[in-house]
Amino acid sequence: MQTISLAPRLDLSQASPLASALRDATGTDLVLDASEVTHLGGLAVQVLASAASTARAAGTSFTITPRSEAFDEALGLFGLAPGDLQTGEAA
Amino acid sequence: MATDPMAEIRASFFVECEELLESLQDALSDMDEGSHDNETINVVFRAVHSIKGGAGAFGLDALVGFAHRYETVMDEVRCGRMPITPEAMKLFFQAADLLQDQVRAARDGAPPPDGSEPCLVALEALMGGAPVEEDIEEATDFQPMGLSFDFGPAEDEGATPALPVWTVRFKPSAALYASGNEPLHLLRALAKLGECKTSCDLSALPALDTLDPEAACLEWVVEITGDVTDFDIREVFDFVEDVCELEITSGGADAPAGGFDLPDLAPPMGDLGADPFAATPGSEPMLEMPGAMPGMPAPTPVAAPPQNPSGVEMNNPPSLADLAETPEPTAAPIAPAEPAPAPAASAPSTGPGATVPKGNAAPAKENSSEPSATVRVDLDRIDRLVNLVGELVINQAMLAQSVAEAGLPPNSAVMTGLEAFMMLTRDIQDSVMMIRAQPVKPLFQRMGRIVREASSAVGKEVRLRTEGEATEVDKTVIERLADPLTHMIRNSVDHGLETPEKREAAGKPREGVITLSAQHRSGRVVIEITDDGAGINRPKVRDIAIKKGLIAAEAQLSDSEIDNLLFLPGFSTADQVSALSGRGVGMDVVRQAIQGLGGRITIHSEPGKGTRFSISLPLTLAVLDGMVVNVANETLVVPLSSILETATLTDEDIRALGPNTNVIHVRGAFVPLYDLGAELGYRAPMENYAGGIVLLTAQENGSRSALVVDSILEQRQVVIKGLQRSYGHIPGVAAATILGDGQIALILDPADLVSNASGRTRSQSFALAG
Repeated sequence: MQTISLAPRLDLSQASPLASALRDATGTDLVLDASEVTHLGGLAVQVLASAASTARAAGTSFTITPRSEAFDEALGLFGLAPGDLQTGEAA
Repeated sequence: MATDPMAEIRASFFVECEELLESLQDALSDMDEGSHDNETINVVFRAVHSIKGGAGAFGLDALVGFAHRYETVMDEVRCGRMPITPEAMKLFFQAADLLQDQVRAARDGAPPPDGSEPCLVALEALMGGAPVEEDIEEATDFQPMGLSFDFGPAEDEGATPALPVWTVRFKPSAALYASGNEPLHLLRALAKLGECKTSCDLSALPALDTLDPEAACLEWVVEITGDVTDFDIREVFDFVEDVCELEITSGGADAPAGGFDLPDLAPPMGDLGADPFAATPGSEPMLEMPGAMPGMPAPTPVAAPPQNPSGVEMNNPPSLADLAETPEPTAAPIAPAEPAPAPAASAPSTGPGATVPKGNAAPAKENSSEPSATVRVDLDRIDRLVNLVGELVINQAMLAQSVAEAGLPPNSAVMTGLEAFMMLTRDIQDSVMMIRAQPVKPLFQRMGRIVREASSAVGKEVRLRTEGEATEVDKTVIERLADPLTHMIRNSVDHGLETPEKREAAGKPREGVITLSAQHRSGRVVIEITDDGAGINRPKVRDIAIKKGLIAAEAQLSDSEIDNLLFLPGFSTADQVSALSGRGVGMDVVRQAIQGLGGRITIHSEPGKGTRFSISLPLTLAVLDGMVVNVANETLVVPLSSILETATLTDEDIRALGPNTNVIHVRGAFVPLYDLGAELGYRAPMENYAGGIVLLTAQENGSRSALVVDSILEQRQVVIKGLQRSYGHIPGVAAATILGDGQIALILDPADLVSNASGRTRSQSFALAG
């Protein structure tokens, strides 16, 4: 089990670092701490969704908790549910 | 920018109004003929409603007020609370006419016309008294925005509660992210417009190890319900339109209930898990979405059959005014089977309605004149183009002449090139003429009003039938036909048709019928006004003509000559000056106007059965195909459309008829012979016409005549240069033209020439007379 804290502003500049951090952690159960997130951009959503489905395929767990209000609000605007970015709830 | 955008929008609103008024008239006519179905009534309602909506946006209160009251009545009809009686139909028509007046007054900035109150009161009385005043405030309280096309809240009278639904498909490109834009902000802005159902397509998302974190793999479909226009939505994407794919369609996907609810997006993710990376990494198979995501609306959801929540049928394509209050979804710009909607949709189009195509929406009931995409062009520009093409034709003729004079072999490159050039010129010219051509329908619709007004003024029951409304005629011709036609229609109502009592006595239906028809015949347009009245009272006409000193008392006149007396200045048969006619300004003015257009008018009347006026007009006023002939060393042009054939005369062909005239025997019939040289005064009739060349011409009425010419030079296109303005009407001459060698030639009007001809083709009588 590994925990990664997400940066407050997940914008263009954070997409690549986030992707590499998640890639490095592939194969392990992951918990992402999104409590500090104030901005969730489209690219970050892509990375998170891709990581979630990759984890789902690999059978590892991938959860995002706790989540800030801003995170959930953005998710809603994107037309996504937390379950889309996690393995647990969706299964 | 020198142009005032508000003025432009206003101008297009009035153009829109004309279209709405046209469909209003069409629908009313349909209703009048018995189609009382919802569709037809809704077209009427919508037309009035849309005019009201647009007028509100421009603060045209008088127009709004009138339209509102009219609309209220139509709403009653629509809801089936008010029966459609003949009296009601009359009022509907009258109100439509008044609405047109209101629109025109508003357009021209004139004060609102008076006289609409009685009609409205009568309408409201039909509705069961009590004019509905309670929401007039609301109706006039219409003016929201400045320049947007948002014509304000789509207020409704309780019958159309549905708010517009828009479906926005939005797929950012990598460039969108790279330029610092963020879909989140755009989605948030959309969410502020109205109630949004957003779904995200994750199907193109590759696995993490192949994911380019800065590539764009997501796509959104947002369904917005609210008082929103296409324009509002586009505004959101104003700065990113060139870095995303955007498709805005009106109408909801109407996915199965719950299809958009976020939790339901989970199952698709499950699918994704089972076959997680079916999509090729990095590719953009965005259109494969629907299969992979059952919970998602199709990416082209509007392809679903048009929904009709309010029961309102769209008979016309969405239009500017419609955008104000589109209560029902319009159809898709993309056919259901269309596999790749993206390119067209992503084109950076900024205008409102850009993806709301001017195609038709719901299967329209009758698409006889389906408007297509149009561009408004200043008439001056078209005229300039027409003139230039005219010059081009002349220039080409000159060039051809020079080439011929250079004595080049017929198969030389120059000659073949020149031929291709001539064909091109002809194509250009045809196309240019087509720009100017317009259907006669609006003109005919105006006549509908004239009939209604005229018949009620003289207390007759009259129905106007129109045929060939789609016939196209040069715009100028249409404009200049309005007055003469009005006059003739009034005449038919007033003089042509009998009173209902007389009609019944004659065993005819009380209601008289006037038929207005247009058709193309032998290269001209023929417009006919036929009534089923009593026909021309020839003894009476003759008496009047004698009384007024127009003809000698002992004159022997044929029926058609008597009929033609109607065209004499100052002639009037009406015993009394009625409200409509009988003031002595009559058919002579009509004939002048028609002749001014290069046309002719003829009468055909049968006692007891009715009268038919035929107007024959040239298709265009710019160019014609002519046969260039030589007569007594003068070069003349005869319109090709009037020539049936040419022949060389032999002795046996020619037969004498009377002291002065000859006929020729052609194909088993006798045709009067006219010597062009003698008729035009170039020379005396010849001794003998054997060996001479004749042009056999046909008129619209089917009669034929043979014109003798000295030689036929060529057949070619000539540019018409009018003589009317400088010389007035010259009998037998339609216009003039400039030939390739710079020479001026007269263009003949064979029918006019023959009707004025002496027919002298015998020289001895000429000698006697001389």
